[in-house]
Amino acid sequence: MDLLNTLFQSTPWGPLRIGLHAVFLLAAAYVLKVALDLRSVMRLKHLAKPRAGFGIAAVLVLLGFGAVLVHQATWQLFGTTRPEFVAFMQLHDRRQFNPAHWIQRGRILDASGTLLAETRAVQTPQGLAAQRYYPFGPDFAHVVGYADPRFGTSGIEAAANVQLNGGKPESWQDWGELGRQLLAQTKRPKGHDVTLTLDAALQRLAMERLGEHAGAVVVLRPRDGALRVLASAPSFDPNQVDAEMFLRADPRARLLNRATAGLYAPGSSFKVVMAADALDRGFRGSIQCPADGWTTSGRYRKIRDHEYYEARRAGRTWRGHGRIGLDRALIESSNVFFAQLGVHLGHEAFRATTQRFLFNSRISIGEGDSRRQLMRTGRIPRIAASDRYGLAQASIGQGKVLATPAQMALIAAAVANDGIAPRPRLIASEAPSAVGRFMQQDTARRLRHSLRRAVAEGTGRSIETPGLAIAGKTGTAENPLGAPHSWFIGFAPADRPALALAVIVEHGGYGSAMAAPIARDLLVLAKARAHL
Amino acid sequence: MARPARPETLAERWDARAPERQLLLWVLFAVGVGFLMVLGALPKDGIAVRALDLLAPLSFVLAFLGAHLLFVAVGFRGDQLLLALVAFLAGVGLLAQFRMGVYAAEALGLAHLVLPAGIGVLALVAVALMDGRYRPLAAGIWLWALLSLGIVCLVLATGQRFRGAVYGAGFITPTEALKLTAVLFAAAFIDRHAKALANWPGPIPFPPLRALWPLALFAALLLGLLLVQRDLGLVLILGLALLLQLTAGTKRVGYLVYGALVIFGAGWVVLQLFSHGQRRVASWLDPFADPTGTGWQVLQGLSGMYAGGLWGEGFSQARPRYTPIAESDFIYAVVAEELGFIGSALLLICFALLCWRLILIASRARSPFGMLTAAGIAAVLSIQTLLNVGGVTRTIPVTGVTLPFISQGGSSLLVSCIALGLVLAISDGEPKPVRQRKTTAKRAASPPRGRAGRLRFT
Repeated sequence: MDLLNTLFQSTPWGPLRIGLHAVFLLAAAYVLKVALDLRSVMRLKHLAKPRAGFGIAAVLVLLGFGAVLVHQATWQLFGTTRPEFVAFMQLHDRRQFNPAHWIQRGRILDASGTLLAETRAVQTPQGLAAQRYYPFGPDFAHVVGYADPRFGTSGIEAAANVQLNGGKPESWQDWGELGRQLLAQTKRPKGHDVTLTLDAALQRLAMERLGEHAGAVVVLRPRDGALRVLASAPSFDPNQVDAEMFLRADPRARLLNRATAGLYAPGSSFKVVMAADALDRGFRGSIQCPADGWTTSGRYRKIRDHEYYEARRAGRTWRGHGRIGLDRALIESSNVFFAQLGVHLGHEAFRATTQRFLFNSRISIGEGDSRRQLMRTGRIPRIAASDRYGLAQASIGQGKVLATPAQMALIAAAVANDGIAPRPRLIASEAPSAVGRFMQQDTARRLRHSLRRAVAEGTGRSIETPGLAIAGKTGTAENPLGAPHSWFIGFAPADRPALALAVIVEHGGYGSAMAAPIARDLLVLAKARAHL
Repeated sequence: MARPARPETLAERWDARAPERQLLLWVLFAVGVGFLMVLGALPKDGIAVRALDLLAPLSFVLAFLGAHLLFVAVGFRGDQLLLALVAFLAGVGLLAQFRMGVYAAEALGLAHLVLPAGIGVLALVAVALMDGRYRPLAAGIWLWALLSLGIVCLVLATGQRFRGAVYGAGFITPTEALKLTAVLFAAAFIDRHAKALANWPGPIPFPPLRALWPLALFAALLLGLLLVQRDLGLVLILGLALLLQLTAGTKRVGYLVYGALVIFGAGWVVLQLFSHGQRRVASWLDPFADPTGTGWQVLQGLSGMYAGGLWGEGFSQARPRYTPIAESDFIYAVVAEELGFIGSALLLICFALLCWRLILIASRARSPFGMLTAAGIAAVLSIQTLLNVGGVTRTIPVTGVTLPFISQGGSSLLVSCIALGLVLAISDGEPKPVRQRKTTAKRAASPPRGRAGRLRFT
């Protein structure tokens, strides 16, 4: 006994044990082989000939065992294909040798290879453990998300969970690697990297410029929908996810991804939608715009232009636009014009437009392997046929009209892309596709021209930058919570658009004051980074 | 048709069972190697190896060698594969249970006794009933019926509930014995009324109720009472075995079709009535809905398997005790964790060989009663094994049945051993027929009147 005890505690016992393990498995396999070999010797000659029908039973039993083995393999060998299972093991399995604790999740990279998330080995009181690290902290928190065994996954971490865990071999090489990991029982299984379409420099600038303000920035390439920026502020630090974040009703709503889920009144930026619809319907006329505004009925407050208020504040009187066409109205952002235009086109046209622009729906921006990442487009309820004032309000992007920043960026991209809205996409390997045609090609061309003039000589002239040819539309969205939201949607360069964007700064005041300068700074950097 | 007679001299008998000996020695070698690994795990957990720890493997080896020598001594002609396969399965069971601390007691305990006793019983049953001596069991037809129903009633009256099931005195589970008594009753009954049961009159195929009703009533009573005890696994095993026996005895596949309809109907009703079953189905469909509650045991077992990977950590490295109550129903998860996917696949191949061999013996038994009994036992063991490993690997919902020869549990092991002994006895064949041609002719001429007519030619 003492001899055995000494042996078991000596150093050679380690390798010896592994040898015994191999011998045991080999011996077991050999027994089964001998059993099969000895079939002929062990024929039961003294018994009757086999009855018919029993062979089927034997085959069924064998199939049953086969099915169990196959199903067992999907858990035991390919458990990484089940994200919930991996999360369960990481959270609840106390076996320190379980590879689930050691999965070296794939990295998440931006389009130029900048690291956005990686897994590091850190020293904890329980020993070494794998931990997710996000070098830019809050800057990418909403879009990249977090991966935490206790709180689950979000963002791209959730959408591409299986691939990141290494459970989705795509090439023969991947299968080979998976096989090698299985055979060698490696204790640090490696996942696959995921490359995004984002540009880290642009995204960080967007977050920096939003600063303390709440807001969102969406920048995408109109041609193929590649998202360059998907920023939402305020944000949280994915390196420090804790229960506190989820429990407390946060008045700043830091967990909300404002870019894809924040519903805002779009204000004047919505006039692009109305203008597109009017042009599609062949509207080429002009409308008389009284200086002191217009309303559908004497019971309602008049809808007026911003120049009217500015003049009144300065103690002057404003002469009004007079009779103007669509082009001029868009450049000057005339509320009076678009309110009348909307009512003129009618309820049915408005409803059809909201459907064509995919309002009240969700669009996939990341077809992950385990969860899709979706963007909301907006919310526009049906406006009763008797409610003409509601229609007038909606036509200038107020009242019942709500849109997400991602949707407004998509509208700008459609204008830039000859009327076709590309599907916004985050994962670089996803094939580009379109979500639909928002407007006719000719309409888009005319709008590009008008929006360029809106920046060159209209409401956006404060950000006119030589050499960039920015086209766009400002927005100043009245809201019941405080100062108006500041909007800018647009694209650049106007003649061959390479980037489309939407910027919103909550309670930022005039669109030209807060949102438009952020858009300009982003486009300046984009030009420096050769995106334009 | 010349059939080899029983070998006469001891040397002949020794040679005749050489394949069994060869296999058995290899199995014992493998188990020995495994046991060395298991012993080596003890110091790592801070437990010194004691002389007592060697008792379990030694008694294991002695029991199987003893059984083999007994077979040689009496010139046993029965199947040579079964004993070695049982040795392999029981050996893996011994290793896994040793790992789970079943043999950790200070002194000699009941645990040390169960396995050798079971093997002893297996050998004794085989030898006692060989040479066609198993056939009088068919005469005890009503004894088996009364015994079956009596056991269920007794357990229902006196049993105590533990972890969702009903146990008899202490932790003995008398209902395990049903796997023998119910199968024997069904075999005897079908044997006696084979002709009537196989005769399906009428244009629409429907079973002859006049001949079937005693068996149907027995099944309904037995399975109904078992359902009251919530032993869903046993109901499934016995119900399916009975149907398969009926089909094998009458060559009427219609029994399986109607049986499947009844099973689906009854299963649906049962799931509506029993929250116990509903919970298991729900946790099977989505174990992650309540991972720390109803899904915990299965998920912990699967976590262990995943940690074990392809080759396993080897006995001594893994931590199978993290799976709750693994030594009984979830022993397969322990094996898969410590021996890996390869090890568990080897184990399943061994089970498959065992099932195949049992089915083969059933298909070749000379007497219909032997065929029906062997078929019933083969069905019980196959279904029980599939239910257990299927539940552990989440292929089907957990039914809470033991894994034959491997799970801890004296009653289950003893019953499995007796059943295997019985099949071995059947595989030994009948006494050498003296005037075979004449008797078959006579038999064909005389109207078959059940058992009496058949006994005449022995």
